[in-house]
Amino acid sequence: MELPATGQTPPLIHVAIVEDDLGFRRALTEAIESAQDIRLAGIAGTRAEGLKLLQSAPTDVLLVDLGLPDGSGIDVIKAAVQQWTSCSVMVATNFGDETHVIRSIEAGASGYLLKDSSPAKIVDEIRSLASGGSPISPIIARQVLARFRQIGVGGASPPITPDETPQLLSAREKEVLELITKGFTANEIAKLMELSTFTVRSFVRRIYTKLKVTSKAEAIYEARSLGLLNE
Amino acid sequence: MKYRPTSFLANAVLVFSLLLLVIVGIFYSGAVSKRSSTTSLHLTQADWQVHDAQGFNAPPPALDSASLPNTWQHAALPLAPPIALLRQASTKTNATLVHTTWLRLSVPGLPSYSGPLALYGARIKTDGTIAVYVNGRLVHRAQEQGPLWNGTRTPLWVVLDTHADNAPVSEILIRLEHTQGTRVAVSSLWLGPVETLKVRYHLRQWLQQELPAILSMAFLTVGIFALFVWLRRRHETGYLLFFNLAVTSFLRSLHFYMGVPIANDWFAWLTVNSLLWLVVVVHFFLCQLHGRQVTWFTRALVGVAGMVGVLTLPVLAVLPNTPKVTPLIYPIAALMGAAVGWVGGVNAWRRSNEGVLVAIGVSICTLLGVSDWLLQNNFVSPEGWYFGAYTNAITFGIFGTLMYRRYVNAIDEVEQLNASLAERLRLREAELEESHQRLREIEQRQLLSDERQRLMQDMHDGLGSTLISAIRSVEQGRMRDTEVSQLLKDCMDDLKLAIDSMEPVEADLLLLLATLRFRLEPRMEGANVALIWDVKELPALNWLDPSSALNILRIVQESVANILRHTRATVIRVATAVEGAGVRVIIEDNGQGFDVAAALWRSSGRGLQNQQRRAQAIDGRVAWVSGESGTRFTLWLPLQRENSVST
Repeated sequence: MELPATGQTPPLIHVAIVEDDLGFRRALTEAIESAQDIRLAGIAGTRAEGLKLLQSAPTDVLLVDLGLPDGSGIDVIKAAVQQWTSCSVMVATNFGDETHVIRSIEAGASGYLLKDSSPAKIVDEIRSLASGGSPISPIIARQVLARFRQIGVGGASPPITPDETPQLLSAREKEVLELITKGFTANEIAKLMELSTFTVRSFVRRIYTKLKVTSKAEAIYEARSLGLLNE
Repeated sequence: MKYRPTSFLANAVLVFSLLLLVIVGIFYSGAVSKRSSTTSLHLTQADWQVHDAQGFNAPPPALDSASLPNTWQHAALPLAPPIALLRQASTKTNATLVHTTWLRLSVPGLPSYSGPLALYGARIKTDGTIAVYVNGRLVHRAQEQGPLWNGTRTPLWVVLDTHADNAPVSEILIRLEHTQGTRVAVSSLWLGPVETLKVRYHLRQWLQQELPAILSMAFLTVGIFALFVWLRRRHETGYLLFFNLAVTSFLRSLHFYMGVPIANDWFAWLTVNSLLWLVVVVHFFLCQLHGRQVTWFTRALVGVAGMVGVLTLPVLAVLPNTPKVTPLIYPIAALMGAAVGWVGGVNAWRRSNEGVLVAIGVSICTLLGVSDWLLQNNFVSPEGWYFGAYTNAITFGIFGTLMYRRYVNAIDEVEQLNASLAERLRLREAELEESHQRLREIEQRQLLSDERQRLMQDMHDGLGSTLISAIRSVEQGRMRDTEVSQLLKDCMDDLKLAIDSMEPVEADLLLLLATLRFRLEPRMEGANVALIWDVKELPALNWLDPSSALNILRIVQESVANILRHTRATVIRVATAVEGAGVRVIIEDNGQGFDVAAALWRSSGRGLQNQQRRAQAIDGRVAWVSGESGTRFTLWLPLQRENSVST
């Protein structure tokens, strides 16, 4: 639906994968190969390989598994955000549970992919992410809302550097999150709010970015109050 | 309360207060002692003689000393002829026979002075009238109604009128009437300007009468304070004793400054006896302080005091309370006082410093009393002082010190108590915190165990049994790959819902349904069934814990699965509504419907029975309405649950 109009050659989406599960790797590879507009640019099976992969040319989408044999995928996500600034990072998860997803988003991920997704779904998610959208589930939405509510209430963090200032959700962003917690899909929300589905998904991306910045600011503030960081 | 270092302000207040007292003192003494340039005359030589007469006579207004018999004897002032105490007491009250003692003082010649003159003497003691003649003219009369209680303590003070003739004072004649057997006493006299002598007069008047009166009042006031303390704290008899001491002491000292005629009346009885009572009260006080039983001594004291009290009762008049007899009673009081001091001191020694202090005090008071007695009975110069008036001050001082110590100690104790209370409170808090911690741990363990049981049950009923049947089917080759895949996908859905049930849904049923939709969406899409999401805002269900959440998820999941599996529905509508004391979740489809009753009875209808069982477990209800055009499934859940597990 949100695909660029046919007729034009769609821009190629380059994807890199950091995943040790061979089965899922194969499913991914097959799904990507079936799509005309997606190319697999690199594969890593461990954290170390993943970090090494980041030395090469950046891709559009990086798929990272959290449970790597030699460490956490979170490190790879953080490194990717630093080194592949234009790349959208997606975390591969079995259940899409709140703990893993929120942690990844705070580290800089823009989305997540359920490992049992159908090949069509996988391709859809990659395209959506590459075009600036992000997926979200009701429970994640509730969690994000709760995080921002905390900041709104106790948001007396002292001014840090401008790009670290905690940001609040806009009214529309909040509305999107609230509708998601009530079970409405991105398509339904788009209709309800008279937006395009793509806009709704890009709202989610913006919300994730704010959450990342805010959690970073919080971490710095906490570190300062604990005396771990110098002024 | 906290101890703070004395601030500058507090010091300033202290200095200011002391300064005020000093200024008042200076002002007062300065006002009194306006020194005159003229010195006064000290008259220490006199002639005297004693006459007998029938009854008391009013002094004539004028009298020439030459008219008196010329039987003058020379004497030096102060004059205090010895008294035979026993004879004095035994003489019958013979009102008719009266002695008159005359004193003649010749004034050698006063430096000329224009202002008014005054005559001052520290003491004139007699039990009859006093009359003073200057140059033969009566200038002063006192005790016309007989002796006064404060008579011997009132100094003689006569301001001489200046007369027309302006003759210098040449002779002073003093006429003292007294009963048979008693003796008079006269101090030396001063003649001089009023301004000069006023200082001596006022000083003596103040120290001998006014100051003791003030102290006595103060003592009584503090005694009344102690009484009120006792009224609130009946078990502390010390306060009552203190009140009693103050009252007795007040009574005893009344006669020092009350100008009441001496008679054998109740006032006299009180005056005499209160001294004995005072000694007894001090003894009780000492007993309290040293805490030893001295029964025999107490009995003896109370016995003597009681006996004297009875004997001197005015109505009985066995021993009249008159100055003739009392000099014989007072030694008893002195003996008692000494004994109390001695016994108290011995008992309190090394046991109670306060007791020793009181014992010393009572001994000093006894000595003062002895000195008074000596003065009263002409054993010492009548120019001396009655120190007995200050026994009050000493008693007050000593017991005031005791009270002060009690008070300060009590404050200290309260402060220490508070500190120890705070410490104990802190310890208790720590203990409580610890036991809370333990309780929390136990609770946590219980929670974990419950949770494990719940998951085990769910895995056993759902995932486990599905997997087992899948394995069996695969092994027996009875299943096609797509069927196996479908079965495993069902397992995956089960697992995801089990995980979702553990996410915090915060009493939000809608969020739970949303999660379910999110999970089932791919399957619905695969089955080409349209979903109409027609939910409305719902009130919070505070009982919604992970266990209840899983039950709800399973009920709704089963319902949707049934539609997908058994009906050829193309549309599923999910709606929510508030209904009475509960909420409703409605799932409608446009499939072909089924016979609800039959399905519930069939063994294959285990799914429906499971839904019923799960609904009952959370105090909810399920209902199906099925017909040609579809099925309407309703799950009703209460807003409140009485035996809610989650608290």
